Amino acid sequence: MDTAFIILSLITVAGAVWAVTLRNLIHAVLSLVLFFFGIAGFFFYLNADFVGWVQILVYVGAVAILAIFAVMLTHNLTAEDEPGFFSLRWLTGMAIAATVGAVLWFAIRSNAAMSQTAPAGVASNVADIGRKMMTDWVVPFEVVSLLLTAAMIGAIVIAMEQISHRK
Amino acid sequence: MTTLAHFQILASLLFVIGLFGAVTRRNAIVVLLSIEIMFNAANLSLVAFWRYSPHPEQLSGVMFAIFGITIAAAEAAVGLALVIVIYRYYKSIEVDGMRSLKG
Repeated sequence: MDTAFIILSLITVAGAVWAVTLRNLIHAVLSLVLFFFGIAGFFFYLNADFVGWVQILVYVGAVAILAIFAVMLTHNLTAEDEPGFFSLRWLTGMAIAATVGAVLWFAIRSNAAMSQTAPAGVASNVADIGRKMMTDWVVPFEVVSLLLTAAMIGAIVIAMEQISHRK
Repeated sequence: MTTLAHFQILASLLFVIGLFGAVTRRNAIVVLLSIEIMFNAANLSLVAFWRYSPHPEQLSGVMFAIFGITIAAAEAAVGLALVIVIYRYYKSIEVDGMRSLKG
């Protein structure tokens, strides 16, 4: 482990823990922004520059703002009546999370390929990604663009006020 | 030296944190944000597998991560629109309050 990995791990884990535990929803969303930046840092660290920039644009730019808008539109700045520490709900959540975490831990630990170090000279440039997307991945690309259109129209239709026919 | 196991353990830890939030919290917005944390953990895992793969020129992990981010963005847009509609209907976004379908 090197220093960059440790610092980025601390940022992402702290952001994630704050995002799921803080009572104030605005603080939770801001912690989530910290988490998104940490994940983007990991993408840069792994030489996936394009994914890192997409992460910053989509998550920090769009999803975080959308979440803040949702918090404000629902007039719900602090989540009252949340279960406290060591309530039954928290213990159940801890048990579920610990079980899933243990399964993942043993799966990772029992795989010999996991101990390899990073090969040198691995990079992803935007031209290669674009070429791949227009050749091998063209069908998923079209499907996902259809999905985005449907989601955009769907979000507008769902959130639209019901038009009243008074006249 | 940072090995692939370090990244996978970190991604599992973040996934578990998101799962814990999605199961425990009552506020629907925080549940959606926890799901976003799980999406990001999966993307981190995929990009780490790409970085350590024997055929990085295939770019499979990067492509999976880009499509994952796209689908997560669509999910966030529809999910938050649903939260706003639920607030308008129930005057609350507590997930425990939505039990009209319970028999």
